[in-house]
Amino acid sequence: MSRLHIADTGLFVAMGQPSNSRYQAVRRFARRNEIIFVLPERVYEELTIDDPDVEKVPIDTAIGEGWATVAAPLEFSEPIVSRTMDGVQRYIANADDRPADEVERADPSLAALAAQELSAGTATEVYIYTTDIAAGEGAETVLASEGYGDSVTYVNGFRFIKDLVSS
Amino acid sequence: MRRRQSDPNTLYCFVVNCNQERPVSRTSNRADGDIVRDFLSVADLLEEPQLAQLYAYLAREGEVTVQDVMDDLELAQGTAYSYVNRLVDAGVVDVTDEEQPRRYAAREIDLTVTTAAGDREYTITPALIDAVGRRETDADIDTYIDRHGVAGLATALTYAVARERGEVTHRLMAEDLDISPLAAEMILQALRPVVHEHYDIEEAGAGLDELDIDDGDAADDA
Repeated sequence: MSRLHIADTGLFVAMGQPSNSRYQAVRRFARRNEIIFVLPERVYEELTIDDPDVEKVPIDTAIGEGWATVAAPLEFSEPIVSRTMDGVQRYIANADDRPADEVERADPSLAALAAQELSAGTATEVYIYTTDIAAGEGAETVLASEGYGDSVTYVNGFRFIKDLVSS
Repeated sequence: MRRRQSDPNTLYCFVVNCNQERPVSRTSNRADGDIVRDFLSVADLLEEPQLAQLYAYLAREGEVTVQDVMDDLELAQGTAYSYVNRLVDAGVVDVTDEEQPRRYAAREIDLTVTTAAGDREYTITPALIDAVGRRETDADIDTYIDRHGVAGLATALTYAVARERGEVTHRLMAEDLDISPLAAEMILQALRPVVHEHYDIEEAGAGLDELDIDDGDAADDA
């Protein structure tokens, strides 16, 4: 049984710098369970943007340490990938009463990556770590409608880190 | 639904609504609807993070003495008295018990403010005052106020509440406000403790226990 751990921007922001106990707790968890967090390309781009107003997120440090990696581009030619993208986009748009085409495509890319790997059989169980409830719940809902309800878990990034730091 | 963004350079000038409740107080003969004074005193709060921090503490704790303030906020006696008296003079804190030691309590503040242009408004709530008070100890909140003003922080706070309710994501906020998704995520995370302090919102999603992972070595590594 292979597990896929997909991480969103918020998880890495919440960890702080490598000197932070939160960062260290997640790294310990990843190492002792041999987990590599996979980031959709769009998430990696967000984390590495050059914005003078915000502190740099040490995502490249985590990648260098071997417990995070960037996913290959999504295969939009696979019908399940584009269906999942559209489904999550609609879910998030509904939650906020706005047109689906206004929803940024990085939000549904978490679920789309999960759908791609589940349908290809490269993963049998997927965990999606995000701090955006709408993105997490949207992923669970849409993947359930694709028949993967038992294979996907939305992990609340804040709860996950808090539990790790206090354990 | 787009949330309103206020221009940080626009001075707010109208108080649309003043809705305050206060406990028994020596100042209870103060005329209701003393709108201009209410507004100015609240504006003072937002200008001085130390006062905002103290107001947020009083709002959270209920009735306290100056000794409590000194102990919990680690303030010197003179400073604690000076701050408490300024809040009392401003009319946002009441003396609830004249017996020594005197006890103080925050008055509820709920002011809706309209910008000079008249097309935008935001509400000054205890949550916003709490958020402003945290700029002293939170670099992300401090930077955000520098860039977007208190009005901008008020807008960010409405997004932070909506996000915790699962209605909006950091990316939608970034798009609406024309800031980077990373900057949006940073301020949303900085404001999250304020949201959970002032709003009753349950946490969604799984925690560590619900992950089907046997993290058995945790105790050894810790």
